[in-house]
Amino acid sequence: MAATILVAEDQADIRDLLVMNLRSANYDVHAVADGTAALASQNERASDLLILDLMMPGMDGLEVCKALRARGRTTPILMLTAKSTELDRVLGLELGADDYLTKPFSLAELLARVKALLRRADVQRAAQSDLQGQPSPIRNGDLEIAPSKRSVRYQGVALDCTALEFDLLLHFAQHPGHVFSRSQLLDAVWGYTHDGYEHTVTTHINRLRAKLEADPMRPQLILTVRGAGYKMREAPP
Amino acid sequence: MSVRLRIALTIFVTGALTALGVIATVLFAFQRFEHETTFQRADAFLGRVVGMYDNIFEMHQRQPQEFNQFLRNLVLFEPDTQLYLLDAQGTVLSSTGNTQLPPGFKVRLAPVQEAAGNPDMPYVMGDDPERMDAGAIIAARVVRRALIRNDEPVAGYLYLVCHKPVLPEGRLQVLGSSIAKPALVAILGVVLLATALTMWIVATVTRPLRQLTQAVASISQGGLDDGARDAPERHLPPRTPDEFGQLTGAFAMMLDTVRRQWTALRRLDHFRREGVSNLSHDLRSPLTATTACLETLEGRWQGDAARTDDRALVEMALRNTRNAARLVQSLGDLALLDEPTFRLRSEVLDVGELLDDIAVRFGQRAASQGVQLQAQHPAEPNARPPVVALDIELFERAIANLVDNALKFCRAGDSVSLSARMRGDRVEVCVADTGPGIPEADVPHLFDRFYQARQSVAPSTGAGGKGLGLAIVKRIAELHAGEVRVDSTPGQGTRVTLVLPLAT
Repeated sequence: MAATILVAEDQADIRDLLVMNLRSANYDVHAVADGTAALASQNERASDLLILDLMMPGMDGLEVCKALRARGRTTPILMLTAKSTELDRVLGLELGADDYLTKPFSLAELLARVKALLRRADVQRAAQSDLQGQPSPIRNGDLEIAPSKRSVRYQGVALDCTALEFDLLLHFAQHPGHVFSRSQLLDAVWGYTHDGYEHTVTTHINRLRAKLEADPMRPQLILTVRGAGYKMREAPP
Repeated sequence: MSVRLRIALTIFVTGALTALGVIATVLFAFQRFEHETTFQRADAFLGRVVGMYDNIFEMHQRQPQEFNQFLRNLVLFEPDTQLYLLDAQGTVLSSTGNTQLPPGFKVRLAPVQEAAGNPDMPYVMGDDPERMDAGAIIAARVVRRALIRNDEPVAGYLYLVCHKPVLPEGRLQVLGSSIAKPALVAILGVVLLATALTMWIVATVTRPLRQLTQAVASISQGGLDDGARDAPERHLPPRTPDEFGQLTGAFAMMLDTVRRQWTALRRLDHFRREGVSNLSHDLRSPLTATTACLETLEGRWQGDAARTDDRALVEMALRNTRNAARLVQSLGDLALLDEPTFRLRSEVLDVGELLDDIAVRFGQRAASQGVQLQAQHPAEPNARPPVVALDIELFERAIANLVDNALKFCRAGDSVSLSARMRGDRVEVCVADTGPGIPEADVPHLFDRFYQARQSVAPSTGAGGKGLGLAIVKRIAELHAGEVRVDSTPGQGTRVTLVLPLAT
């Protein structure tokens, strides 16, 4: 069954183009022109994904986001913004948006993000349903990851990670010793390849190291491979 | 030397010189007064002697042996005086002195005649036979033979020498003498007091000037808009109705004018930023729609042989639209980075690793151009890693702009190298290429907005962000409290260095 997507965008041209292209990519698309209508339509029938414009008359994208999250909805949200300000990006992610795109964006990129968000939601749903099936936790030396509970323990201490930090760590732990470049990690963990976002990987590795390593400048777990990328140290058998 | 100190010193030196002059004058007058009174007393004494004994010469001729005793008795009550009897030529005939004078000893006759003949003289100085000294106060009276008329020739002189020392010898001792000392102390006291008073008065008079100086200094340090708005005015001295008051008034007016112009300038700058930001914002939606339209068309016509020409047109339109979009984005980003409220999201990071990653990121593009791209690391294995607190996204953007720029101009066989090294408390991050270099005249303008250097050699790839990439690099360096340097040799290559403060 085709995934359902709700597009909330006040500019008719862009809205029509989004609907047209998402439909031709075989999604079940429904479009509204403002935030209030978007929220109302979600009350009727929950979509699999929301594409929200940040700036809309009346209720804007952030408010819709907040309202949905307040109701406990975990529907992935892709935020479209005309402002490339860092502040907006942070706000968008902190208030519950899963990803953002800055206008002007390319359709190819939008479609890639949509696909990645839906896939991640699938993986999470699968993990949720696996909860009954007791999946085996992943171990690598002192590192212990329980994918079903999304919990991490390192050297016996529980770590507090954001969703992306967890996914990144999980990806490393699933392939210990394997070297990944930043764009490979972006593709595997974030779900898209787009030039110019590699710094996100650096930032997340940097934060993971700050949480995991005794001396983040001399890492022992997530190692740098000069000229190639990053890898997780293989624990001795 | 401050004006205050200079004025005080001037007053002190003038006072001290005046004091010395006054003391010298007093001493001179005192000495003269002493000389005159001594002379008058001596002269009066001789007058009495001559009046009492009109046969002195005869007395001496009769009893030359006893005459010395007679003279001694005469000066018994005149201390510090020696009495002599001279003949008409000045030869000493008899004396009260204890010293045995050689026979026929003569004193200079001129002062003797002067003292004897001119009673109006203030004083006369002549020889002191006892001390072989020509600077003694003398008095003299003509002695004639008795009972003879007044026009008898001179038989000799009674010659009186006073050698009571008026003042001690030597200049320094003179100052310590009993007359000079109190005067000296008093005058020095007055001079010191005057100097202190002057310093105080000068300090009082120049206080407005110092306050004004402080106000000017506070403005030049803090600028016009830092801290409280009234900060410089608070330092201004009160308006007095004198020249300082006028200066203060003029300064306050100038400050007012400058502030008004400054405010106008800031408002203009704010409008400019806001204008650029709004423009960039407003252009995004139409550009998004256009790009999406063209992409949709491109997708539809893909693989349609009948649409080959149309596809080329769409591709051209798309390429140009994307360039416009990139430019709009760069403009908006620059406006954002210019905002005074913009804050970095700094994280502590090993710059060397980030350079590695950037080299990997651009590796494929460099390889396809035949350019060797690599991150270089210090040779010594235990070198301190270049750890800096920086906004990873912005910093990577700056380096990526520099690498992108270098790759744009490099040809096959060239190389681009990235390196980071410690320099004291700073880190130098270098992007060096062996490309065509930049003409010297272009280097100072390289980071100006919309200044496109190397136009003549720029390949017309139409790559976007024209003229803004380096301006963004400069702004990012400034936001990190660092700076950008460019060294370029035409024909040999270009080296751009970002200098950043080290993480603490």
